[in-house]
Amino acid sequence: MAGGGAARYVPAPMLRQAGAVRALLYALVTLFAAGWAVTVQAQAVGERHLALDLVPETTAPRAGTRVTLALAGVPAKGWHAYWQNGGDAGVETRLDWTLPAGVTAGALRYPVPGRLLIAGLMNYVYEGPFALFVDLDVPAGLAPGTRLPVRVRADYLVCTEEVCVPEKATLATELTVGDGAVTPATRARFDAWRAAFPKPLGSVGTFQLANGRFRLGVPFPATADGPGADAYFYPLTQNAIDYAAPQRATRDGDRLVVETKAATAAQPPASVEGVLALGPGRGFTVRAAAGAVPPASQVPEGDGIARPAMLAFAGAVLGGLLLNVMPCVFPILSLKALSLAKGGGSSEAAARREALAYAAGVVLVCLALGALLLVLRAGGSAAGWAFQLQDPRAIAALLVLVVAIALNLAGLFEVLTPAWAGRSGSAGAFATGALAAFVATPCSGPFMGAALGAALVLPAAAALAVFGGLGLGIALPFLALGFVPALRRRLPRPGPWLATARAVLSVPMFLTALALAWVLARQAGADGVVLGLGAALAAGLGLWWAGRRQAGGRGGAWWPAAAGAALALAAVLPVRPEARAAAGAVATAGNEPFTEARLAALRGENRPVFAYFTADWCLTCKVNEKAAIETRAVSDAFRAGGVRVLVGDWTDGDPAMGRFIEAHNRAGVPLYLWYAPGREPRVLPQLLTPAMLAALPKEPNG
Amino acid sequence: MKPIAIAAAVLVPALMLAAPPVAAQQATGRPAGDFRLFDANGRAVTLSQFRGQPVVLEWNNPGCPYVRKHYDSGNMQRTQGAARAMGAVWLTINSSAPGKQGHMTGSEATAFVRSAKAQPTAYLLDPAGRVGRGYAAKTTPHIYVVDARGVLRYQGAIDDRPTADQADIKGARNYALAALTDLKAGRAVSVAESRPYGCSVKYAG
Repeated sequence: MAGGGAARYVPAPMLRQAGAVRALLYALVTLFAAGWAVTVQAQAVGERHLALDLVPETTAPRAGTRVTLALAGVPAKGWHAYWQNGGDAGVETRLDWTLPAGVTAGALRYPVPGRLLIAGLMNYVYEGPFALFVDLDVPAGLAPGTRLPVRVRADYLVCTEEVCVPEKATLATELTVGDGAVTPATRARFDAWRAAFPKPLGSVGTFQLANGRFRLGVPFPATADGPGADAYFYPLTQNAIDYAAPQRATRDGDRLVVETKAATAAQPPASVEGVLALGPGRGFTVRAAAGAVPPASQVPEGDGIARPAMLAFAGAVLGGLLLNVMPCVFPILSLKALSLAKGGGSSEAAARREALAYAAGVVLVCLALGALLLVLRAGGSAAGWAFQLQDPRAIAALLVLVVAIALNLAGLFEVLTPAWAGRSGSAGAFATGALAAFVATPCSGPFMGAALGAALVLPAAAALAVFGGLGLGIALPFLALGFVPALRRRLPRPGPWLATARAVLSVPMFLTALALAWVLARQAGADGVVLGLGAALAAGLGLWWAGRRQAGGRGGAWWPAAAGAALALAAVLPVRPEARAAAGAVATAGNEPFTEARLAALRGENRPVFAYFTADWCLTCKVNEKAAIETRAVSDAFRAGGVRVLVGDWTDGDPAMGRFIEAHNRAGVPLYLWYAPGREPRVLPQLLTPAMLAALPKEPNG
Repeated sequence: MKPIAIAAAVLVPALMLAAPPVAAQQATGRPAGDFRLFDANGRAVTLSQFRGQPVVLEWNNPGCPYVRKHYDSGNMQRTQGAARAMGAVWLTINSSAPGKQGHMTGSEATAFVRSAKAQPTAYLLDPAGRVGRGYAAKTTPHIYVVDARGVLRYQGAIDDRPTADQADIKGARNYALAALTDLKAGRAVSVAESRPYGCSVKYAG
């Protein structure tokens, strides 16, 4: 065992071979291995799977202040370290400090973790670089230059999906009492780490355990940006939820409701604490008391996966149905239908069997395509890509794709069926169905493209449902033919009407493109929408040219399209979200965004200043703004008193502002500061009234 | 080409859809779910056959450092001996899937029990993880104590020191023995649930 050395179980393949030899070998291995035979020393002791580093924010803290130390961890590839609550398994990190007299260490703080579901067991982990924080209090009265050696022994667990290794690391650093200066490089590192820490939400939530369900209601302003459905509650409290059960988060007016399966514990908790994550590395610390939590009243857009998945599924079935009239699928279908019509007289049952086998073939191939795509997507997100519709580049790319689809439907160019797909053969209806789906793939690019787009943004189950629906749609006419003999005689024959039908279908596609352009305009402004439309134009011109070359029967018809696509890509990449005005949330004219420089300048001019710090996700802040700050009485009083108002918007967790807030002994917003000329700032209560604010400028000495 | 395509068409979605079943927890104070498993010698063992005696279930994965903490120190063997001396049945269960850490065949399990000088009543093999998931066994070790009437009285950790350090065994409160002592004295089990600690059970999937 050797103090958590890197012992690792390696299944020895030779042991898996037959009978008596195995027993003998087993005994031999038993003799040679220290401990038992099943474990083999695979790495040198001392080789760690988590690189840990102890980094002080300043090596020269002032006496009587607090200095933050980071335990910066980098797990080896494929390994993960654990959050404070490891989930179904895992162990909390323990620290054992050796500190100079008078220096005290606070509690270990953790950034927002991630989730790793392994074989049905949930793990709350860090799979990439992360930093844990500990605050050290340096006692007052120490002379500058006093050396403060700091030593810590960390016991932690690192695991792969297969093995776990408890490791120990002893880390040391030396602080020297000084001026508290922070180097810019260290500041930047800490700012980046700090961004991943949960921010205090400020308002208390409510939770309810009933009928095996856990429901958490958290005050969260309806106006705040941010996804509802991606929210996830990481509990610190044991016995609250079933960790591995899926969670459903819903925005419901001024609250966010998270619902999941309750833990089946004999003793439910009296209060619940945890981290509400709104996305990777972004979250809030939440505390909730027991109480009644009504379920989310309506199912708003973006709720869970149920509704979008249903819509996408219905759309996919419809799309699959339409695929049947595509010029390259229809011949196969009619061929198959004709063979059915021929043999159908002899056995109705055989026709049905064939129809079902065909349907199975189509659906399974579509699911396989979807699965492949999901695997690619998983690889992509592991590489750090995020497929989010919030990203205007994703919208711009979708815009280009949809325009290309519409142009294809309109007949500007053709996506040719490869020659090999024409062979249908007699390998049974299942194979024909599989073939039909394969054949449909290239020539039905349009609808596949739409399904692909959906699969990139939907959760895995919903994405698979889309592909399954697509397959079902393709199979539907054939199923109908198999089960309703009368239909077989009424089958329309391929002809020019197909081309017309296809061209008509381009209209909804163009309308979709229009809708996307609108979304893009909202997200990225005029510049973004011009870039997006320019990209669509470049792609369109390339495809048009390719279509002309196709029509002329020339080889290499595709290179203009490739050039157009490259140009379109180049145009899409620089699309950026339009910068929001920093003080956009504030209606009152005359307010300025908060900066420490501006505050110092106004103080230098001997002006009274009211500075307040708010965030879109802070309900208390919004209530105070509506009920007190933005009232006529207060704005009149401030104007009369020459009060300047500075607004700090901490929605995105700006680190510099975070330090300023912390300097006033607050972990987060709201924070209200009143600066009377020439006097120390006063921290106002967290609940404001108009009378209290209006009275500020009139105070004596005010 | 075609058979491969068909096989892929069938297999890929089947694998994608074959999500592991959601763990069904056993409620403390309710009858423990009965099960039937083969032991290391190929004999079938059921939980209900031990009705009339308290039964301790221990989830095991000999490759897990937390399991090794308790076996290398002899703590688990001592606990097994003490439990059996109190008239209890001790069933060690291995739910590691084939190819995963800790998976063993019957003869490997027998060799492990012998070399570790372990004293379970039986070492049960659950490579499909059926019983493990049925009990929502999450870690190795994970301990369950069932009373003589078949009611689940304790589930959770082996003791109150969630570390991999052998030094922490001394002075730890052994929850399995504490529960058996309470049962023997006719008392309610004082700590009926705790958070299990250790490596995650290496289930299939």
